[in-house]
Formats: sequence, C-alpha cells, structure tokens
Amino acid sequence: MRVLVVGGSGSGKSAYAERLACRLSPQRTYLATMRSLGSESHKRIAKHRRQRAGLGFCTIECSDTLPAPDDGTPKGVVLLDDLGNLAANALFDDSGSMGNAQEVLDRLEQEVLALQKGFEHMVVVGILVGAEGRPSFASTYTWVELVGSLSCRLAAQFDTVVEVAAGIPCVVKGQPL
Amino acid sequence: MILVIGGIASGKRTYVRSLGYDDAQMDSDPSSDRPVLLELDELLRAGALDSQTTKALLRKDVIVCCEVGQGVVPMDAGERAWRELVGRTCALFAEQAEKVVRLVCGIPVVIKDDPVPVSQKEACS
Repeated sequence: MRVLVVGGSGSGKSAYAERLACRLSPQRTYLATMRSLGSESHKRIAKHRRQRAGLGFCTIECSDTLPAPDDGTPKGVVLLDDLGNLAANALFDDSGSMGNAQEVLDRLEQEVLALQKGFEHMVVVGILVGAEGRPSFASTYTWVELVGSLSCRLAAQFDTVVEVAAGIPCVVKGQPL
Repeated sequence: MILVIGGIASGKRTYVRSLGYDDAQMDSDPSSDRPVLLELDELLRAGALDSQTTKALLRKDVIVCCEVGQGVVPMDAGERAWRELVGRTCALFAEQAEKVVRLVCGIPVVIKDDPVPVSQKEACS
C-alpha cells in the first residue's frame, strides 16, 4: 500500500504517519530528510527522534536524494518524512542557489517510485504550502510549485491520500485506513 | 457554475480539463465568451468586482480561483486586503455555485454538490 499524508505545519501529519507505519508492518524504515543547519533544526530533529523513539524504526538520513532500494523481496514499511524538506534540499544547494525545478521534479518522482519497489508499504509525508498567496520570493514560489506538482504526481499513483487537520486524518483518496 | 479552488500547483487546471474543457476554452478575461474563467484571485488584484463583471462571471460554466488565505497573515496591508477579498469573493461565488470542488494534491474533493443554486431556491420560496 502507498499512502501520501499531507497537512499544514504542526497539523500532526508526522505523528499520524508514524502510527500508520506501525500498523502496516513491524519492520520499519524511516527516511529522515531534514538538514541539521542550526539550533531550530536541531530542536525539530530532536523532537521527531523523541516522537519515534521506541517505535522500532531503522533511520536513514537522506537530505536531497533517496537511496536506491535493495534487490530482493520487498521488506516492511518505509516512511519518508517529508517532501517539503526533500524538495528544498534537492532544489537549493548549500549556498542557496537554485537548480532546475523540472529536473528535480522528475528525479524525485522517479526516486520515490523506485524506492517503493523495495518495500511492501510506503508512507510519504507531504506538506500543503500552496494556499497562502504568491510568495514574495521567486525561488520560494518555485519551491511551492515543485512541492505541489510532486504531491499531485504521487497522489495520482498512490492508493490513498490523507489530509491531516488538527491531528485528525481525513481521507481524500482511497478507502478509510 | 462550478467553482474550483485549491493552492498553487494543486491540479486545478488539470481537473477542469478532465471535465472536458480544452485550454482554448479557458482564460482570465471576465468579459470573454469562453466558458472557463481562470485566476479569479489575480482578477481581484485590481479590486472588488463590479456588478456587471459579477453577472458575467455567474454565466460562466467554471470559475477557477487559487486559495490564498491560509498560512501567515502578511505584514503588507495591500496583500492582507487582497487575501481577504479573494476569500470573501470565493464564498459569494460558492453560494451561487451548484458545485464547489477543492483540489488537494490533484485529488478533487467535492465540498458542495447542490444542483439548485441558493439564489434560485430563494426565488422559489
């Protein structure tokens, strides 16, 4: 099963995605995407680690590119958290200069779909960022479009899409989980 | 009329195409005779709609508007007023629409499906 979980900041989408992954399989892999750049990201990473502690995830750090799956039998569930960070890391380099958004979009879509082949289940956390008007910076707009387009492409191919609001999962595609 | 809303790159136009309209039937000019109006949010940059434009828009098959009111309220007064206006105008058109569809990651979520517009119901009662 492939599930896309979206929602705004602090909506509880990661916590929901973790619970869902736990229900789907006892064999759990977590792909962490946040780059540790300053005290705020350190704190967020620590918060997410605490949230996951004891849930039995094997964590793989992958800031701007996803690992290719192992050959062999698909194993357990993989949780990718999240598309917003992954897209930002892939679109901008450390100095902040921007790459080609179309290429990044195609590459990330392919990487997510390739990765899925290595697992029985995949849960991907996205973020809804396109509904607050046109961002002041052109580069931010490019990132918003990238996250939106990538989410649309994955949602079209996934079995289930869930929007989390105030911690409540609302299924917008597929059967209730 | 069908009102189609959603954030940037949420799949609004792709959804309108799935209803059977091609790109030549869509534009952002309220006075054109094309059945689909795009970018209501951008039209509102110039200010509130006058009654003539509103009437013209109510004759469209489909109105597409970007959702702009979520996230942080902007510091800039003009941006704040525009976001407010887009939200209020969407609510007005939604009242008149038979159907309102909100796109989430390209998935159409029908948030109103009422074959009889409110205005006609009131006219009947």
